[in-house]
Amino acid sequence: MISLLKRFREPIFVIALLAFPLVTFFVKAKKGRDLSPADRAVLLLIEPAERVITLVAYKAVDTWNGYIALRSVRRENLELRRERLQALAIQQQSGELKFENERLKRLLDYADKQTPTRMLAARVIAVGASPHSHSLRIARGSDDGIVKGAAVLSHDGVVGTVASLTGSYADVQLIVSPLSAVPALSQRTRSRSTVKGTGDYNRCKLEYALRTADLQEGDLLVSPGGGYFPAGTPVGKVTNVAKKPTGMFLDAQVVPSVDFSRLDEVLVVIQAPPLAPAIPQDVPAGPGTQGSGP
Amino acid sequence: MTLRFLLVILVCILLAIAESVLPFLVHFRVARVDLLLVVVLYLALHDDVMEGAALSAVAGYLADLTSATPAFLYTFLAVLTFVVLRTVGSGLKTEGGAQSAAVAFGAAVVHSLIASLVFGFFTGSGVHVETQALLWSALGTGLLAPLVFGILRRLDAGFLHAEGPAPRGIR
Repeated sequence: MISLLKRFREPIFVIALLAFPLVTFFVKAKKGRDLSPADRAVLLLIEPAERVITLVAYKAVDTWNGYIALRSVRRENLELRRERLQALAIQQQSGELKFENERLKRLLDYADKQTPTRMLAARVIAVGASPHSHSLRIARGSDDGIVKGAAVLSHDGVVGTVASLTGSYADVQLIVSPLSAVPALSQRTRSRSTVKGTGDYNRCKLEYALRTADLQEGDLLVSPGGGYFPAGTPVGKVTNVAKKPTGMFLDAQVVPSVDFSRLDEVLVVIQAPPLAPAIPQDVPAGPGTQGSGP
Repeated sequence: MTLRFLLVILVCILLAIAESVLPFLVHFRVARVDLLLVVVLYLALHDDVMEGAALSAVAGYLADLTSATPAFLYTFLAVLTFVVLRTVGSGLKTEGGAQSAAVAFGAAVVHSLIASLVFGFFTGSGVHVETQALLWSALGTGLLAPLVFGILRRLDAGFLHAEGPAPRGIR
């Protein structure tokens, strides 16, 4: 027996090396990843190095831009003053709209229980290393209050969710990952659907959109709220709508709102917004009845 | 565990860091080069079975950790790639830069296709092959393969020089 083991030790070793990861992957493929202490130990070696390299590169670029930008400071200053005036005008208008909104809500006995969503800014320090991963690594982790599954946003819209994390770092699974599925709501028609990643950075697939829904090319999809994603956050725009003659759902694609190739900083939701308040029965559904988004 | 074994692991860690940081810094995030695959390729063609398979598993594990995919996908693929390349290895030539680039390009294409199949099959997300990203990735991997081969050859040459006779695992 021992001589047999000795004789075939190479194939036995290789088969074991193949079988263990395959079985583990098979069991855990759909459950996501929880980092083991060994994983965390290895990441402790890798992540600080990634952080230092990225920060040094950022610093170098910032210093360079700081000198180059001085040449156009005067022109930029004038533009900023003009923009500030415009912003003040908009602010006044939105103040009026806010008061009007409050008045109407009181009129409709519509209790707004939404609390402001708490978000944390996080710097992106790396991307998923393998060609098939659609992930980012950010320099924030569970020590900052981030939990697995937390929503990650940018000023353009939904970026993804936290897939795994250590104390000071987190890996974000982008919405374009084939493992990602994000609930969405058409801003125009209020019809619900799911945006599923395809592995292509420029395109997602729209699933479970009813064939009867009046979805059109260019319709903006936003997050419906009630989950981790704050209500009203842009997800993407509908494109390539194809209505089949039969079946419940239509076929369409979604162009993500976020340009994933230019994400340097993101926002992580560290306190999920509560469920959108129930809408009184006598109020017709329509734009503005979903609760106040951020 | 030999010193060479540890040094190859260190090279793998450095390559994993480069793989994840460099595309981000140059804003090239559509396709990634697979430097750890080149290490597996080198190990399959130059190492003995036990050490090469173990180091391939380590390289795959590092790819797993830095890619936020389900656990052990790349570990399995790395060992599988090692076995396949080892089996067909006698027909592969990687002496010159062009040869190693061509072999790495081919290996990257096959590896990507198998990864997409396994990933789609086991996660239930369906098989998606992004041809353009796949070719960019394979091209980048092929172009950088001579560099990685050079690093590993230099490492092995250092051992040859230091120890006199050929170290264990090197043909």
